[in-house]
Amino acid sequence: MALNNMQLPLDLAGLKEMARVNRLDTARMFMAAGNGHFGSCYSCTEIITTLYFGLMRVDAARPEWPDRDRFVMGKGHAAPTVYSALIRRGFMPEGWMDEYETAVGVKLMTHPSRRYQPGIDTSQGSLGHGLSIGVGMALAAKLQKRDYNTYVLMGDGETNEGSVWEAAASAAKFELGNLTAIIDCNRLSVDGATDEVMPMEPFPDKWRAFGWDVIRLDGHDLPALLDAMTPRRDGQPRPPRMIIADTVKGRGVSFMENVRGWHADTITATQYALVKRELEVTL
Amino acid sequence: MKPLDPGLAAEIEALRRGYGEKAIRLQYGESMLALATEFPDFVVLTADLMYATGMDRFGAEFPDRLINLGIAEQNMTGVAAGLALSGTLPVVCGYAAFTTLRAVEQAKVDAAYNEVKVILTGQSAGLSYGVGGPTHQTFEDVAIMRAIPNMVVLVPSDAAEVDACLRAAITWEGRSPIYIRLGRGPEYTHSRAGKAFEIGKAVRLREGSDVAIIANGAMVAEALMAADALNRHGIAAGVLNLSTVKPLDTGAIMAIVKGVSAVVVIEEHSVIGGLGSAVLEALAEVRHAPVRRIGIADWFPPIGPTRELRKALGLSAEGIVANVLDMLGHAESGRAVAE
Repeated sequence: MALNNMQLPLDLAGLKEMARVNRLDTARMFMAAGNGHFGSCYSCTEIITTLYFGLMRVDAARPEWPDRDRFVMGKGHAAPTVYSALIRRGFMPEGWMDEYETAVGVKLMTHPSRRYQPGIDTSQGSLGHGLSIGVGMALAAKLQKRDYNTYVLMGDGETNEGSVWEAAASAAKFELGNLTAIIDCNRLSVDGATDEVMPMEPFPDKWRAFGWDVIRLDGHDLPALLDAMTPRRDGQPRPPRMIIADTVKGRGVSFMENVRGWHADTITATQYALVKRELEVTL
Repeated sequence: MKPLDPGLAAEIEALRRGYGEKAIRLQYGESMLALATEFPDFVVLTADLMYATGMDRFGAEFPDRLINLGIAEQNMTGVAAGLALSGTLPVVCGYAAFTTLRAVEQAKVDAAYNEVKVILTGQSAGLSYGVGGPTHQTFEDVAIMRAIPNMVVLVPSDAAEVDACLRAAITWEGRSPIYIRLGRGPEYTHSRAGKAFEIGKAVRLREGSDVAIIANGAMVAEALMAADALNRHGIAAGVLNLSTVKPLDTGAIMAIVKGVSAVVVIEEHSVIGGLGSAVLEALAEVRHAPVRRIGIADWFPPIGPTRELRKALGLSAEGIVANVLDMLGHAESGRAVAE
């Protein structure tokens, strides 16, 4: 069931419930496909839920509305969290979830596609592209004197890509106060602990040195996320905003939390039943 | 293949002296400046190559519309896509080598897959910065960009066509990125200023029933010199300016090769994957005369001043004529017709 614009933004209790719905929707899609990026999705559930149901100005009736806030899913493999949000906001039909990755020509797949999915502001999938696109969108707002905000979500592993740092420098140069980037700092990438695969910490020092305003918070703390990501619509030139969100990969499902293998894995009907049961009681 | 008869070579040189020339970089800067006044909404993105690409006057007159991203082409291309996704037309202004190769994945994913019009201009392509060596010589760009779905690939042939091509790209209403391959220094002019450029349409510049010469970029003027020299000796050579490599004007290719005894395709690009390949892909579907591709062989070419280097590699009117005579069975290239 989709919410209409009058029911938004959701209050804290509503956001909490929507985060639960989001995790269940994601599992539903992965069950349809038989596998999915559980860990990567569940670490950013609260971030996506806060943006789409607490902060962002979007309208399902006008997916291409020039004044809408933009969202860029840099870590494209966590797209199902965004699919759920867009479905629950009425951009896409609920039935698409059950077709996820099931056949040639279905609308929903591992990575977000502007080509097939209304409400997706840019196709993503290759890591390290998102922040540059976000810089372009934020620059366009300045050039066109529009007050929309642009949000870019990156993985902590994604910041290994050099292009991220090219984009970081440019966002500061152009004083894009209308741009907010979030790093989903779940400390695991495909091959293991991000600190072992390629150490990137300390993130706050690095981003501050690149000229950004930096906040570090618990990425599952809804009030903190609401406060830190509030849109800035005054058009003032100021440093772009970086939210370092400490998260738990696989958050919400006990056997997935902090387990490397659940970055992406297959799921059985028995496991799916367990996921559903846990999500009903733990969150 | 025998070297060209000296008398014939002298004739070609005399034809060459009849051509005017204009630097592509100079034309680019002038055209962009004029277009900026006429079309107030596009912006230019550069990676610290404003001066090097002739855009300094643009930068001085439209400082708010020249976005300098520093030496970071991947970010530049992503930013361009982000601008286009939000309704601002970006013209990326750089060297072909970096615009296409350094940021190729951004061109594919962010621009082409997203179905947004981003104009990617690449100067100093081919051997036009020959002394720069293989890092700056660019002979893979057409092959790479042509392989990306939804990418338009344009290779204008002289200053006037560069001007017309930029205008055509800016006013085009499609939803594809457009790669425009450009030279750098002076190139011979053969086309009339103010003539319209139609994306996707090849232009027949000479009629001839014996031989078909298909060219683009700076090689078009060389093709015209070659055709005119051959015509003087009774070999009727047609010339097709195939300035749009993608989408390919197969109709114009089929028309010019019809009935000829030999086809030469010449381009300042690798013989792998460029214009020659595109033409052969089209011709493979039909019966056709033998085709010879003149281009850069599968190697890193030597370093040298552009025109000398092109000539040394056969990328010249002389190279075309020698190949045509060889293909037509003249034992000693040029002797038979020169006498």
